[in-house]
Amino acid sequence: MNDEEALKRWICLGCGFSYDEALGLPEHGIRAGTRWRDVPQDWVCPDCGTPKFRFEMVEIPYADGQPALRAAA
Amino acid sequence: MSDTFVLRADERGYNKILSTGPTASYVGGHPDAFITRFSSFNFGEYQDGRPGFGRVRVFGDEAFYHPGCSYNMHPHHNFIICAFVLEGKLTHINTLGGLNDLGPGDYYAFSAGSGGLHEELNRYAEPMRAIYLWLLPEHLLLPPSYVSGHFDAAAGMNQITTLIGEEPGAVPVSQDARVSRLVSDEPGVFRYRPRSRRHGVYVFAIDGTLNCDGTTLKRRDSKGIWNTDEVVCEMGRGDADVLIVETVM
Repeated sequence: MNDEEALKRWICLGCGFSYDEALGLPEHGIRAGTRWRDVPQDWVCPDCGTPKFRFEMVEIPYADGQPALRAAA
Repeated sequence: MSDTFVLRADERGYNKILSTGPTASYVGGHPDAFITRFSSFNFGEYQDGRPGFGRVRVFGDEAFYHPGCSYNMHPHHNFIICAFVLEGKLTHINTLGGLNDLGPGDYYAFSAGSGGLHEELNRYAEPMRAIYLWLLPEHLLLPPSYVSGHFDAAAGMNQITTLIGEEPGAVPVSQDARVSRLVSDEPGVFRYRPRSRRHGVYVFAIDGTLNCDGTTLKRRDSKGIWNTDEVVCEMGRGDADVLIVETVM
């Protein structure tokens, strides 16, 4: 893993669910800091079942106050 | 020199989604109910076309057949989902408390933001036809929002009317994008000027025929144009109905 590389965000093209490498998805067994490439290839969107390869990397900033809600959840 | 692509009606992706079998949990309705979806850009099982256009990811020309036909209540995040009803009646229900019956000319923008669910339902025997447009947002996890609007075709005849955007009377969205509609019943030349050459314009012929920057577009044909100062739509004698989507590229 190249720690120099900025942590990225990915969005599900089936429903808009976002995955942030910095946050991971601890509630789904993916720890914070997990790179997208290290998410299992057979992983699917927890909200809609869209396969991993139909996510798109996005460079979209968070809204004010986010991702506080998810971090606190 | 501008950049362009032309997408003919029959070149779009096509899905027929049944209310029975593997898609029964996705599409509701009695056993004869089904949804047809023509996709201008890659979506779902259709992955043979363009991945999107600017901030647009989905442009679906959809029809819901038979009473009770629906996309059942399901979750979204982030995407700004807009629907423009063309025919029939759409019942839209969302978890922001929105419950609307939308008829021809009605439209909405549902920004799912940090999370929201919606159902899209046709309760009637008449097919419901709508254009579904999904835009990426400018920020992730925004507070969800829902706003609806109405396009009056009679009042807006032979002019370009902004449905979604910053203009007074239009529905605002959190993206550098605008949606306009042009309905005509007489010959005319309309010049659409995007905000800058960094903006692209997607012109979709809902009905009728027009000439768009030298390309004849018939019913459900479309053209994307970017790196240009203006897009010229020449309308003919017959009735025509055009949706114009502008997005930062």
